[in-house]
Amino acid sequence: MEHPSTNAEVRLTVSQCFRTLTSSPDSKDIVRTLQTLHSYLDGGPESTTTAAQQAEFRRAHYSRTLQLLVSNIQADWLHSFTAAERTQLWDGLFLKGPPDQALLVLLEAIGELRPSSNLDHMVSITEKFLQSHRLAELLWSYCLQAAPSDSPQLRETLLGRISALPDLTANKLRLNNRPVFLPQQYYPLLATEMLTALERTCQALRDGTDCSLTFVAQVIGKVCIQGHSGLVLAVMAPRLSVCTRSDMVWQRVCWKLMENVPQRWMESVLTGLVQAVRGPDALGRIIGNLVLTNKNVQFVITHKLLLLQYKYESQVLRVVLGYLAADRDRRPLLIQVLRSVCQAWANPSAVKHTPLEQQLYVSKALLLSVSLLKDSELQELRSELLQCMLGGMQSHLDSSVVRIRHMGMVVGECLSSRMDINGTKLKFEYEQDEETRELLSLMTPVTCDEPEPEPEPVNGVDSLQETSETIPSTQNASSQSKPAPQPSKADPDSDLDSDDELTPYDMSGDQETSQASPPRYLRDCLEILKSSEDSVRVELSLRAAESLVRRNAFTAREISVQMSKVLLHMEDKYNIIGFLSLRQATMVALTVTDCIPVTQYLTTEFYSLNYSLRQRLDILEVLVVAAQELSKPITEKTTPSIGPATTSELTPYPGDNPVHWQQVVEKRIQSKTKRLSKGATKPVAMATPNRYAPVAGHFFFPLLRNYDKPQVTFDLLGSDHLVLGRLIHTLGLFVHLAVNAPIAAQMGRALLDFVWAVRYHVDQMVRRGVLFAVCSVFLSMPSQNLLVDLSDQLFETRAWLADVAEGDPDADCRNLAVQSLVLLDKSLKKQLQDPQTLSLES
Amino acid sequence: MSRPAPPPIYTLRGAGGPLNTLHFSCHEEGTPLLFSGSGQGAIHIWNLNSRRAAKIIEGHSGSSIICVSTLQSTDTLISQGRDMQVCLWDLSEGRSELLDSVWTGSVGFCQCSVLEMSPSKYLLAFAGQQTEEIKITELPSKTPVCSLVPEGKLGMVMCMKLWQPDSGLGPLLLAGYEDGSLLLWDVTQRSTLSQVKAHPEPVMCLTFDTKRLRGVSGSSEKKLSSWTLDGQNNLQLQDSVMLVNPGVSQLCIRDDGKLLASAGWDHRVRVFGWKKLRPLAVLQYHTDLVLSVAFSDHQDPRKRLLAAGSKDQRISLWSIYNEGADTG
Repeated sequence: MEHPSTNAEVRLTVSQCFRTLTSSPDSKDIVRTLQTLHSYLDGGPESTTTAAQQAEFRRAHYSRTLQLLVSNIQADWLHSFTAAERTQLWDGLFLKGPPDQALLVLLEAIGELRPSSNLDHMVSITEKFLQSHRLAELLWSYCLQAAPSDSPQLRETLLGRISALPDLTANKLRLNNRPVFLPQQYYPLLATEMLTALERTCQALRDGTDCSLTFVAQVIGKVCIQGHSGLVLAVMAPRLSVCTRSDMVWQRVCWKLMENVPQRWMESVLTGLVQAVRGPDALGRIIGNLVLTNKNVQFVITHKLLLLQYKYESQVLRVVLGYLAADRDRRPLLIQVLRSVCQAWANPSAVKHTPLEQQLYVSKALLLSVSLLKDSELQELRSELLQCMLGGMQSHLDSSVVRIRHMGMVVGECLSSRMDINGTKLKFEYEQDEETRELLSLMTPVTCDEPEPEPEPVNGVDSLQETSETIPSTQNASSQSKPAPQPSKADPDSDLDSDDELTPYDMSGDQETSQASPPRYLRDCLEILKSSEDSVRVELSLRAAESLVRRNAFTAREISVQMSKVLLHMEDKYNIIGFLSLRQATMVALTVTDCIPVTQYLTTEFYSLNYSLRQRLDILEVLVVAAQELSKPITEKTTPSIGPATTSELTPYPGDNPVHWQQVVEKRIQSKTKRLSKGATKPVAMATPNRYAPVAGHFFFPLLRNYDKPQVTFDLLGSDHLVLGRLIHTLGLFVHLAVNAPIAAQMGRALLDFVWAVRYHVDQMVRRGVLFAVCSVFLSMPSQNLLVDLSDQLFETRAWLADVAEGDPDADCRNLAVQSLVLLDKSLKKQLQDPQTLSLES
Repeated sequence: MSRPAPPPIYTLRGAGGPLNTLHFSCHEEGTPLLFSGSGQGAIHIWNLNSRRAAKIIEGHSGSSIICVSTLQSTDTLISQGRDMQVCLWDLSEGRSELLDSVWTGSVGFCQCSVLEMSPSKYLLAFAGQQTEEIKITELPSKTPVCSLVPEGKLGMVMCMKLWQPDSGLGPLLLAGYEDGSLLLWDVTQRSTLSQVKAHPEPVMCLTFDTKRLRGVSGSSEKKLSSWTLDGQNNLQLQDSVMLVNPGVSQLCIRDDGKLLASAGWDHRVRVFGWKKLRPLAVLQYHTDLVLSVAFSDHQDPRKRLLAAGSKDQRISLWSIYNEGADTG
């Protein structure tokens, strides 16, 4: 290109060609011209043009030529070509020249053309362009140019076009898009083309040629930042991991590639990569010690992936932490990470205010990094870890969420066993579930991170086949061996199955009989419960108590409060099976039988001194179950007959069953009534009085008293938020059960007032209770009252609910808030649409 | 959840004493009858159609009745009381005449066992005057056949079963003793064929399936022992069944060999599949020890009943596992 004469010569020829193409009517001229143009692109010995001419053409005239062709796409001569001619002369020009220019022209043409056969033509050329691996050619050409010769704008455009090709085509072609342009096909293709370019780079480096990976790195970065990292890296990461296993050149190339990824795209490449690689070793081989040299990478790896984001699988944590642990230079970072994770885990405010999922994630990170520590490092960090463990466990165990408590227990156990404090270990009792099991499993290092060296694709298929062959064969063996003994077993006595036609009855009632007999009078029962030391008698009394109470309503009314007191203070001294449920059932029976005095007693005791939390919770539970029972319509219960003799001796009081005579009368009327036409007889729901409605206030209002007077042993608004949450939940249930009762409106208003003070409580259990209570208020209050009575509060409540629905860290709270909002809106809408009430209000 | 155990279909009250023994007589045409013997010395003949006592016989001078039985061929009732008498009663044509009585001399509770050799000749086995003695007498001629006394010290005879094997030998007798041993006697040879220690405690009851040559015995412990008789007339212990509560007063196998019922001291009647001794049902009704169980001998298997007599002076009647009886 230093020869001005050559340049001028080429320019002259090309402009002549252009002229011919635009104006000549003779198709032979056109063909000749196109062949001339081709001759600039065809390398090789028989070429009519010199290399210098070719280079000049490629540099200065190729794009223009293609543009001219595209603008003359409507020309008559093109349509007079045969298909073969067209493919060879016209399409060929696009597929032979410098691929970057061709791609730009093609995409520009696709962008400009209207839907027509010409557009289809351009699209199919682009398709062919991709299929004939011109992209690899393109990337490789940029690898070779050590210094960028073109303008940054051009590069930027090209980059954008390459990375966004599926979007461009999809926008233009809509439903007529070609499969090869779909992201699922295009990005893997792009990834393989990049791999080809890298492969050639390696080859070139071995041959001593310098290469630049800047452009490829930019492509990777751009593609990843656009959200296609999964597709691209799923293809690239395994291949890179295999190639870097033994080949130092490949490793150098990879490291260089990662270094060249622009800072602003680094994060997305990294996050994609840690998800795509199989193990920490592979990550180490691919990115090298980038974490030490690049601040951005360091931040992402040591901070962002571990402490800020929590969406990743634990495999990612394994990869990241394993990567940090694998190299001597990187180990200080692991310790630094451990310190910050430790702090994050132990932070009491984080326990309260961050979502559960994040806490789980941090716990996993903590366990993993501790399991990766060496003993010497552990000694160094011991005091810090211990402090973290103690503080963190305290705040975890304080939480009222079971999962958080479990997390604290598991982490505490693991840490203590790892630290080996004077040979003592913490041991908690918790139920093993999937979560705790996973946490525990993190402490056992996966010795074979990459169980077998990731095999070459060919080997992989082989081994897959092998395993798939072995599995059925073992299955066969087992299935053959299994049924064999069965017939032989059945042989010895052939009438074995003759017993089986007799299906057994329920024999659960077949218990050991005890010597003592259960009490038959309620007062005896009470006496025994109060003072007996005989475990058998106490157990029998407790078992008999509920039915005694229910059967002897009159006696029960006389001693209800006394008996409630005894039961409330009763302890499970004799380890009676089902103690809690028996006691609760009896107390419920007492409450139902003699509602007002017992509720009075229980609600007063709830706030009095010297009760344990368990007892206070018991009181709430009893009240709830009793309220539920009262609010249900009376159904005829079929008492399970233990033995007619025992029941017959205690004859039921006449009049206990007021429905009975009505049924008899009803039956008689039915039998005397003649019906001319019989429709589908459906059982008419019997209207029965709601027993709960008249006493609902007795359950509800006493509990609202005194809540803000802290006792020495009981501080509802302070540390005893477990009880507070339950209390609010219970109150919400009371309101909900009082639906349709006249008192519901008052109760609802009082409840809303009450929960207002604790609506932003730190404990999510309390917040859940509050939201549940609000839900139940909206459900059970008549919509008219809602608007009239609460009009001033509704706006604030709405704003608060919207705030919670958006910003609460607890998912349940958010859901409940949304639900309350929906209920509120529904209720308000119903009210506002009702013309009658509107007129009333006006 | 399996279905709950059925309640009794009806109960008979008014026996006025603990019901030590029950015996059905339902195989003939005519009214199905149930005989019961009470602790007050009364034999009730219950009409199962009207479900009332058709007749009450007081023949053992107020002593407890320990066994009632009838003879297939004639309308003869055999009853044994603790007044050391075995009485034979003629029940034909509504009579209830004392035909004859045999003095046993035993003060124990061992129920006698009857074997009909021919319509006019039958053998009666009962505990004798000496502690271990079993006497066998031919009736109605009242000729003593033999007296069987084991060699060792086994204590009182607790229960026995006399039967005629198919093998052509003379009648055989199974007897359970106070020390828990079971003995198999050959009546004609007057010799012990086999002996086995089935229980550590006295054998309270036994029953034997003559078709399968397999039997079961109960004691005051929490278990039932089953045993078989092999070809050489040797008793062999088999697997045992555990009970929830200890003590069994009586055992009974249904005629079709499918069910075994036990009268438990825990007020419950248990029903087992006889072939594998699989527990099938626990029948709860009584409020005191169940002393006796019996399966009825109805011709129609669907009408078959299970009767249980208890110390609470009631008889409960149950219909259990009668559904598929006609097919099997």
